[in-house]
Amino acid sequence: MEFAQEQVGDVVIVKLAGRLDSSAAQPAEESLTRALAGGTPHLAIDMSALQYISSAGLRVLLVVAKKVQQAKGKVVLFGLGPNVREVFSISGFDKIFSIEADAASAVAAVR
Amino acid sequence: MPQATLGFVEEILLLQLDDTHGRFIDLPLSAADVVLAGAALMELALDNRVDSDLEQLILVDRTPTGDDILDDVLVELGQAGAGLSVAAALERISANAEKYQERALKRLVAKGILREDDGRFLWVFHTRRYPVVDDREPREVKARLRQLLLTDEIPDPRDVVLICLIDACGLLDLVLTPDEIAETKLRVEQLSRLDLIGQAVIKAVAEIRFIVKNAAATLY
Repeated sequence: MEFAQEQVGDVVIVKLAGRLDSSAAQPAEESLTRALAGGTPHLAIDMSALQYISSAGLRVLLVVAKKVQQAKGKVVLFGLGPNVREVFSISGFDKIFSIEADAASAVAAVR
Repeated sequence: MPQATLGFVEEILLLQLDDTHGRFIDLPLSAADVVLAGAALMELALDNRVDSDLEQLILVDRTPTGDDILDDVLVELGQAGAGLSVAAALERISANAEKYQERALKRLVAKGILREDDGRFLWVFHTRRYPVVDDREPREVKARLRQLLLTDEIPDPRDVVLICLIDACGLLDLVLTPDEIAETKLRVEQLSRLDLIGQAVIKAVAEIRFIVKNAAATLY
């Protein structure tokens, strides 16, 4: 699992790449939590290079979504591939998260 | 959120107990077994010992936890081998649910939450009741779940599991009024889907209820 972070104005974009499963859950949660630090979070998560997500990975995203809500911030996901999108659809995570097609629309939505 | 003082197996058993009389709610026996198995599996999932996806349950770490129920489940999963679906894992674990229930009830008695009253019904059936002595834990859980279901608050993973379990048991009336149950139907469905093991538990229990109902209809 790889993580990359960039700042676009007041929006933090975190890119998740590889497999988000039980072995990657803790570092992923730490990485995403770091991205929330300081002020009201405006977070866009780039899922375009995420090949697989398990229940453990979904829980990480749920925990992050809760933290963002508690901090009265916004979080948007974008670039979901078909495999990840199917998991989101079946688990109902597509109702918890705003999902955008690309980075530009995600950044606009999260501002 | 404070550290949960009870595991899901103990928690759902407590919620299934009638507060006053200490008897279990009316749930087909095999459905109660599946609920217990699901509670154990979801505890292991939150402890990062098992993981799951749309296809299978994955045993990630079989190191004993120190909890004799969860450790038995880990052994069982290890013996089952790889590639087990969540539904198959539930079926396998629920075969031992009676034993797990007995252990969990003893723990609740030892923690001073339940009291064991031994009694005999006629001289054939041995019934045992578990009146609730300290109801703080179930009261806190009910209040938290009620707040979650009546607002747009995003749940944490432990609360998702509890919602799955009470939904599977048909226990929503413990936390909501009949009107609220009708109003929050979609919300409950949405939150119950968030845990893939929880989804499988709800589906399995619904199937058992359907079979029992049809069998009863055939008899009468």
